[in-house]
Amino acid sequence: MISVYKKIAMMDYEFKMKTQNERVKVEDLFEYEGCKVGRGTYGHVYKGRRKDGSDNRDYALKQIEGTGLSMSACREIALLRELKHPNVINLIRVFLSHNDRKVWLLFDFAEHDLWHIIKFHRAAKANKKPVMVPKGMVKSLLYQILDGIHYLHSNWVLHRDLKPANILVMGEGPERGRVKIADMGFARLFNAPLKPLADLDPVVVTFWYRAPELLLGARHYTKAIDIWAIGCIFAELLTSEPIFHCRQEDIKTSNPYHHDQLDRIFNVMGFPHEKDWEDIRKMPEHPTLLKDFKKSNYINCSLVKYMDRHKIKPDSKAFHLLQRLLLMDPNKRITSEQAMQDAYFQEEPLPTQDVFAGCPIPYPKREFLTDDDQEEKTDNKQRQAQQQQPQQQQQQQSQQQQQQQNQQSNNNDNHGNPAKRPRLGPPHPSQVNPQVVPITSQQQEFHQQQMLYNSSSQQQQNFQQRY
Amino acid sequence: MAGNFWQSSHHQQWLLDKQDLIRERQYDLSVLSEEEYQKIFIFFASVIQSLGEQLKLRQQVIATATVYFKRFYAKNSLKCIDPLLLAPTCIFLASKVEEFGVISNSRLLTTCQTVIKNKFAYAYNQEFPYRTNHILECEFYLLENLDCCLIVYQPYRPLLQMVQDLGHEEQLLTLAWRIVNDSLRTDVCLLYPPYQIAIGCLQIACVILQKDHKSWFAELNVDIEKIQEIARCIINLYELWKQYDEKKEIQGLLNKMPKPKPAPQR
Repeated sequence: MISVYKKIAMMDYEFKMKTQNERVKVEDLFEYEGCKVGRGTYGHVYKGRRKDGSDNRDYALKQIEGTGLSMSACREIALLRELKHPNVINLIRVFLSHNDRKVWLLFDFAEHDLWHIIKFHRAAKANKKPVMVPKGMVKSLLYQILDGIHYLHSNWVLHRDLKPANILVMGEGPERGRVKIADMGFARLFNAPLKPLADLDPVVVTFWYRAPELLLGARHYTKAIDIWAIGCIFAELLTSEPIFHCRQEDIKTSNPYHHDQLDRIFNVMGFPHEKDWEDIRKMPEHPTLLKDFKKSNYINCSLVKYMDRHKIKPDSKAFHLLQRLLLMDPNKRITSEQAMQDAYFQEEPLPTQDVFAGCPIPYPKREFLTDDDQEEKTDNKQRQAQQQQPQQQQQQQSQQQQQQQNQQSNNNDNHGNPAKRPRLGPPHPSQVNPQVVPITSQQQEFHQQQMLYNSSSQQQQNFQQRY
Repeated sequence: MAGNFWQSSHHQQWLLDKQDLIRERQYDLSVLSEEEYQKIFIFFASVIQSLGEQLKLRQQVIATATVYFKRFYAKNSLKCIDPLLLAPTCIFLASKVEEFGVISNSRLLTTCQTVIKNKFAYAYNQEFPYRTNHILECEFYLLENLDCCLIVYQPYRPLLQMVQDLGHEEQLLTLAWRIVNDSLRTDVCLLYPPYQIAIGCLQIACVILQKDHKSWFAELNVDIEKIQEIARCIINLYELWKQYDEKKEIQGLLNKMPKPKPAPQR
């Protein structure tokens, strides 16, 4: 009795009750059960609708990974609360679920993203079925990406994790065909950083989109690092291939130096001359670079040749702009503002607000993902056990594993894409076994698209033979 | 978000009206006099400052934490959450937002215990009573009450620019900077935009140091009346401080302060 009496109240009961009653729960407001459309290190994303039917729009509900307010959740909320630009994702509301300590963010739903769009093009190219898109689509996409990044940069916000999966594109609706830059979880202010930025989280940018100075141990993130990533995305839009595609073993390494990734960059760009990048000598990993690399190995490499192989002519305006975005020396790389004034954007076809320019959208809508814990676990195990590369022969897998994998989603993070293989149609109580249930033609088609990024399944090997 | 104050939540949502502030404090001011109320906030600003210094946080982080604290009680009575719990919670949240990095739960708790014991024993006879789970629960309530507005603009950056513009006098900067720190013990951060606070603090510093920068101030395109209000607020604080012995008075004030009521016992 005495201890109860003495117990101090940290929070007023009346206040607690009042706040609890006023608090709106995400599950009371939105219907999203079984509608998961994305899964990644950041958490889960669901496609939701208002339960009260006050509007018919689709919303994206992001449940942040883990519980409570992680630093990246804090940064994301803090920044998104302030940012307002047509090409930056708009945070509508935050839900705090006190019981399970989950944080939910409410956004407008974006039907497409560049990861899926590029994947679709790759599949189409492989199947020799051209995709019908407006001529200026890539230009419009790039222009809006630059516009959004220019806004972020002029507000002293760095994105730091730009990759195709983070560039969303709105589907049918009032904002049709508009780019939305998303996943600012790692974004941070860089005006007078309080701590050297590299100290906080060792590795953030997916290696393929990582600027050479980062790979050589640059201590601070800069606007130029985002610009490099945009250059990579631009090249990937033009060719449907990740320009600096590279095998990677460990995503969570604290060492920024990454030999294979640098090798890949030099294989495309050529080895940097000191006259082109004077400060390269000052990079922390410069000695390692000199030790590990031989300039003579890259004598025949250049961006001109690489892009020419992919049918982008070196005298085109697109190539000229690409070259300015992908300069090895971060000090020479152009700014988003300069890029937006490039002649490429003055040349017909001019960029359009709707990147699809009113044409039908050829890309499939987001599919729902299966939501099976067991599956996730197995998937993780497989992710560790093997390297999933689109263009590489994989080690022989046991028959059992292959079957397992065929029936599971195995869309892997390697392309920076969070999503697993989608389930088609609404949630189903029991997991369907594709070996038993006849595959619909739609599914069949989808499998073909999917294979490109599949890992070591039989399908992939068949596919590679055709390729 | 150092870029655009005018479009910020700070400008659009958190520059409060003096009258609203008085209305929101009605309950607390029925228990405490206005002066007592201010003394309690001076005390907790010092608690936040000490916690921050012990954790080796930058002044920017400490200032943001203090503004969170003041914003919470600008909308709520002191009884809603024990300020002794809210103070470290504000530090915890601000350190994450201001990219200082997450302070570990145990380090935060140890710091609270040490600081209360070593620096504020004159106010608290008992040791710091809260645990990590209290701080984490409190953090959600804080975030809700802040309406997720976490980016706070501080007068330090405009102050630096202005002192630069005046020909960078080290002595002037140091003093004005300290006055900005002191201004966190008043309501100015709830009422005025940070650049105005910076000007107000700079003006006081100039008066104290007998620096004549009248022509420079005259050329500023600002509402001079506002600057005078800010300066008045801060000078009032110094007046109050002169005849206030915190060590003697604070226990009585904390006892008098409205406190959270626990759930009714059955």
